[in-house]
Amino acid sequence: MQIRRTTAVVAATVVTASLTLAACGSSKKSTGTANGNNGGSKKTLEIGFQGPLSVNSPQLGLNAEYGINVAIAEANAKGDLPYTLKIKTSDDQGSPDQGPTAAKALIDDPNVIAVVGPMFSGATKASEPGYTQANLLSVTPSATNPALTTLGFTTFFRLIPNDNNQGKGAADYIAKVLNAKKVFSLDDKSDYGTGLSTALEAELKTDGVAVTHDGINPTKDYSAEASKIISAKPDVLYYSGYYQDFSLLAKALRGAGFKGTLFSGDGSNDDQYISGAGKTVAEGTYLSCGCGDANSDPKAADFVKAVAADNSGAKPGTYSGEAYDATNSIISVLKGLGASPTRQQVVDAYKSVDYTGLTKEVKYDSTGEIEGNAIYIYQVKDGVRTVLGTTGDLIK
Amino acid sequence: MKQLLTTDVARRRLGACLFLGIVLALITGSTGTANHPFHAARESLIAVRVIWFLLIGVALWVVWTLGTGPGASSVTRARRAVTNAVQPITRSKARYGGYVVLLAIAIFVPRTLPASSSYLQQALFSGAAIYALLGLGLNVVVGYAGLLDLGFIAFYAIGAYVTAYLVYTGKELHSGHTPIPWHAPFHLNGFFVLPIAAAAAALAGVILGGPTLRLRGDYLAIVTLGFGEIVQLLAINANGVTNGSQGAFGVPPLRIHLAGIHYTWSLDPLPEYYLLLGIIVVVMIAFSRLERSRTGRAWAAIREDEIAAAASGVPTTRYKLLAFAIGASTSGFAGVIFATYQFFNPQSFSFQASILVLTIVIFGGMGSIFGVVVGATLLQLLTAYLQHANVVPAEDSPIFFGAIVMAMMVFRPQGLIPSRRRSREIRLAEEGVGGADALGAAEGVS
Amino acid sequence: MSGQEFWNFTVVGLVSGSIYAVIALGYTLVYGVLQLINFAHSEVFMLGSMGGLFMARALLPAGSPSVVQSVGIMVAGLVVGALSGGAAAFALERTAYRPLRRRGAPKLAYLISAIGASLFASNLAGKEFGRQDISLSPVFDYNHVVFTIFGAAVRALDLVIIGVGLLMLLFLDRLVAVTRLGQSIRAVAQDAETASLMGVNVERVIITTFVLGGLLAGAGGFLYAAKFSASYNMGFLPGITAFSAAVLGGIGNVRGAVLGGLLLGLVKSYSTKLIGAGYVDVVGFLALVLVLLIRPSGLLGERLGRAA
Repeated sequence: MQIRRTTAVVAATVVTASLTLAACGSSKKSTGTANGNNGGSKKTLEIGFQGPLSVNSPQLGLNAEYGINVAIAEANAKGDLPYTLKIKTSDDQGSPDQGPTAAKALIDDPNVIAVVGPMFSGATKASEPGYTQANLLSVTPSATNPALTTLGFTTFFRLIPNDNNQGKGAADYIAKVLNAKKVFSLDDKSDYGTGLSTALEAELKTDGVAVTHDGINPTKDYSAEASKIISAKPDVLYYSGYYQDFSLLAKALRGAGFKGTLFSGDGSNDDQYISGAGKTVAEGTYLSCGCGDANSDPKAADFVKAVAADNSGAKPGTYSGEAYDATNSIISVLKGLGASPTRQQVVDAYKSVDYTGLTKEVKYDSTGEIEGNAIYIYQVKDGVRTVLGTTGDLIK
Repeated sequence: MKQLLTTDVARRRLGACLFLGIVLALITGSTGTANHPFHAARESLIAVRVIWFLLIGVALWVVWTLGTGPGASSVTRARRAVTNAVQPITRSKARYGGYVVLLAIAIFVPRTLPASSSYLQQALFSGAAIYALLGLGLNVVVGYAGLLDLGFIAFYAIGAYVTAYLVYTGKELHSGHTPIPWHAPFHLNGFFVLPIAAAAAALAGVILGGPTLRLRGDYLAIVTLGFGEIVQLLAINANGVTNGSQGAFGVPPLRIHLAGIHYTWSLDPLPEYYLLLGIIVVVMIAFSRLERSRTGRAWAAIREDEIAAAASGVPTTRYKLLAFAIGASTSGFAGVIFATYQFFNPQSFSFQASILVLTIVIFGGMGSIFGVVVGATLLQLLTAYLQHANVVPAEDSPIFFGAIVMAMMVFRPQGLIPSRRRSREIRLAEEGVGGADALGAAEGVS
Repeated sequence: MSGQEFWNFTVVGLVSGSIYAVIALGYTLVYGVLQLINFAHSEVFMLGSMGGLFMARALLPAGSPSVVQSVGIMVAGLVVGALSGGAAAFALERTAYRPLRRRGAPKLAYLISAIGASLFASNLAGKEFGRQDISLSPVFDYNHVVFTIFGAAVRALDLVIIGVGLLMLLFLDRLVAVTRLGQSIRAVAQDAETASLMGVNVERVIITTFVLGGLLAGAGGFLYAAKFSASYNMGFLPGITAFSAAVLGGIGNVRGAVLGGLLLGLVKSYSTKLIGAGYVDVVGFLALVLVLLIRPSGLLGERLGRAA
C-alpha cells in the first residue's frame, strides 16, 4: 500500500507541475498577442469572447478568436485608446449546459466591458439571460436562430442576418433564377441547420417548388445519403450546415454521379470548402451568405496576413471576418467613451453604432438585428468563390 | 541509496518518468496544422524547454524511487500520518462529526468565493451539484447492483422534457411559443413536477430494464448505450414534440407560494445550489440507509455472484429492476432542477454526458455515496477551472482532463474515496487472493 | 426502393460495413482475451488513419500520379497506417491497461482509464495536427466504374476497400485458427490461468493482441480517410458502430465481428433511404437490441476460443 500512496503523491506532483508549466506557457502567449503594449503604464480593459473552444466544433470558436485577436492587436498598435485592450476567452463547449458558467466567468471580471459571442444559438439562449442581467454588451458573430432577438435579451446584438432572411433569399434565388422544379433540402440537425432549412423550405413551398427534406447528423460517411439524394433526382441540393460536412457530402455526391446543382449557406461559405472537396467537385457550387464581398476587397488580403501573423500561422475561417468586425465595431464605440467606460455606457452607445467593416456595414435596428440584411449569392468559379450579387439585384 | 537507483525496476521507472516528461513537453507545447504534421512536435521537443521537462522527469524518478525504498521516506510517513488522522472519521462516531464539518464547508465556502471567481458558484451548481445527483443515481445501478449503464443521461432528459411539458406560465412567451410545442393543458408548479418526473423516469427505467436485464455485463452496457442514443435522437428528430435542436426556452423557474412565503429561484446560482444541496443530502441519507437495508444486501449479493444470489432465493430480476427505477428517478429529479433553471436542447443529453456521469462514479469511488459527491465536485470544478482560468488554452483542456482521469485510474483504481467493501476487494486482489471484480464474472486475467 | 436503388444501397452498405468490420475486429480480439471493452480503440483507428494519410500526402506527386506511383502510395499508406495503429495500440496498452492489470483493478477502472486515454489521445492529435478535416486528393480515379451489379455501379475505391478489408479478415481468421500465436491467443481467451500454467506468456499474448487489433484498425483507418477524410475526432462514430457490430456478431468472435460489421453497414444504408438519415442510429440500435433479446450472446456466439 505504501507504494501506491507514494505514486499517488507523484501523480499529484506531475499534475501540479504540468499545470504550472502550462500556465507559464500560456501567459507568454497572451503577452505575445497584445504586442502593442509597450507603454506599460496604461491600464488594461478586456473584450470577452464566449464560444466553443473544446468538445463541439472548437475550430469555429478558434476562427472567431483569430479575428478578435487581429482587431485587438490592430487597436493596440494604433494606440489611440486610453487603455490597452486584451481578449478574455471563455469556453462554452458550444453547449447550452456550459453557457451560463462561461458567461458568468466573463461577467465576473470587472475589466470585461463587452463580449463577442456567444457563437452557437443554443449556448446563446442559455447565456443571454446572464448578460442581460449584468448589462454587458454581447455581439454574436454567428448565432443565426431567428428567435434570439425576440426573447427579451436587452444587450444582445446580431452581426449576421438571421436564418429567416438567408433562407428566404436563397429560396427565391433557387426558384426564380435557377428555375429549379425540385429541391432536396438537407440539414445537419443542429440548431443552426434546422433553423435555416425550415426557413428555406417554407419559402420554396410558397414559390411552388417541390421540396424533399432530410436531416443527417454530421458524419464522414455520406455515401448512403448521397445515393438517397440521387434517387430523389433533385435539380438543386441545398445543405444547411458547415463546410467540413458539406465538402464531404459534395465529394460523395459527385463521386456517385450527382449531376444537379450544389448549394449551401453561410456555414459553408469558406475557402476550406473548396480545398476540402477539391476544385473539380466544388466547381459551380452556389453559396448564400449574409456577408458582403470580402474576397474582392483589398482589405481582405491584409486580413488573411494579419490573422496568420497574430495567430501563429493560422488561416481565417468561417466567422473570422464577422468576429473581426464585431470587435472593431465595439472598439469604434469605445473611442467615444473616455478612459473608463462602464458596461451600461457601452451598451447604450452600441445601439447607435455605424461602422463599415470587412464583411458589411455594422448598424442595427431596434431589436438588435443587423440592418441592410442583403443576402449575397456566391459561386465557385475556377476554384475561387466569386460574388454574383445580392439576391435583390439578381432576381430582378 | 545508490543501489536503489540502479536496480532494474528503477531503470524501468526512469524510462517511464522521462517519457512522462516528454509527454508533458508535448501537451504544453505549441499547436500545429495538418500541412506540417510534425512541426508542432519539433517545436515543443527540439528546444531548450525540453530540458526542463526531462529534469522534472528525473526529479520525479528520484522522489518515486527513494520514496518507496525500504527506509520509508518522510513522504510516506507524512501520508501515513494523514491517513491515520483521517481514518477515525470514517470509522467511529466521529464520522458524523466529519459529515457535519463537510456539510458546513459545502454551505459556507461557496459564499466566501471572491466576486472575481463567482463563476465557480455557477460551476458548483450547474456542473458539480447536478452531476453529483446524477452520479448518486447511477451509483445505485453500477455501484450497488453492479449493472453497467452507458446511457444513464436518458433519464435526465426524460425528467427535463417532462418538466418542459408540465410547467409553463400559462401565457405564451415573447416569440409566441411555449417552451416545447407539446404542453399540458394545465400548468403546474415546478415542485409538484418533481415526483411526476421522477415517476416518469422510473417508469422508463422499468420499460428499458424489463426486457434487457437478463442480458449480462457488457451486453447490458451496449443496450443501455443504445437506449441513451435513441432517447437523444428522438429528442432531436421529434420536432413537433420536443422542438428538436431548437430546444426548450422559457420553462419558468421554481417558486414557492406557501404560508405567506413567496420565493422564486432565478438566475442566481447560489439559491439553486442550496436547493440542490438539500436534495442531495436527503438522497445521500436515503441511499446510505438503503444500502444497509435488506434491499442493499440483495443488491450486493447480485453484484458479487448473481447465480448464487438467485440460488439463495433472492428475486434477482425484481431487485435489478428496482435499482434501475431508483437510479432513474434520481436523475429525473436532476432533470427538473436543470430544466427550470436554464435553456436546454438535446445536446445536453449526449453520450459524452452519460460517460461523464460514469466517470464521476468510478473516479469518486464506485459504491461510495460520499466518493461520488466528492468526485463530481472535484471533476466538475477541475473542468471549469481548466476552461476559464486561462491556465491552459481552453481547447487543450480535454487533454489535461483525460490525463488526470487516466492517472487516477492507474494510481488509484478503487477511486478517490472507495467504499470499504471495494477497497478490501482491491487489497485482496493485490495480495493475490481472488479477483477484484464484482462487476460481471471475474474471468480472464483482469 | 426500385431494384437498382436496392443494389446501390447494398454496395454502399457493404463498403461502410467492411470498414466497420475491420475496426470491430480490434474490439473483438481484445474482448476475447481480456473480457473488456477497449474504449480507446477508436483513437487507435484515428491515429492509424492520420499516420497513413500523412505518409500518402508526403508521397503524392504534384501532377496526377502514374499507375506504379498510385499503387506505391496506396501500399505505403496502408503499411504506415497499420504501423501507426499498431504503435498507438501498443502505447495504449502499456499506459492505460497494463498498470491497472498489475494491481488487479476492477473492470470498470479499465473502462474509465480507456475513456481518459481516448480524450487525451484525440485532443492531443487535435493539438498537434490541427482541428480541421484532413483530406487526401485522389491517388487514382476513385470513381471509375469497374463493373455494375443490376445497374448499381461498383467504383474503384470501393472495390479496393472491400478487397483489402476481406484480405485482412481472411489473414486474421487464418492467423487465429492456424498459427502458434493464434493458438496461444485462443488459449488465453479460454482460460488465462491455465494457459499460463501451460507455458503461454500471457503478457506477451495480450500485447500482441492489442497490436494486432491496432494494425488492422490503422490500415482500415487509412482506407476510411482516403475515401472520406480524417480529423482528430473522427474515431467516435465509427468506433461506436464497430463496437455494436462486434456485439451484434458475438463479441470475442472473429467471424461474428465481420458479419456484424457488414450487417450494420447494410442496415444503416437501407434505413437512410427508407426511414430517414436522422433515424439511422435508432434503427441500428433497435436491431441490435432485438438480436440480443433473441440471441443473448450475439449472432455467432461469443467465445474467441471456441468459434474461431
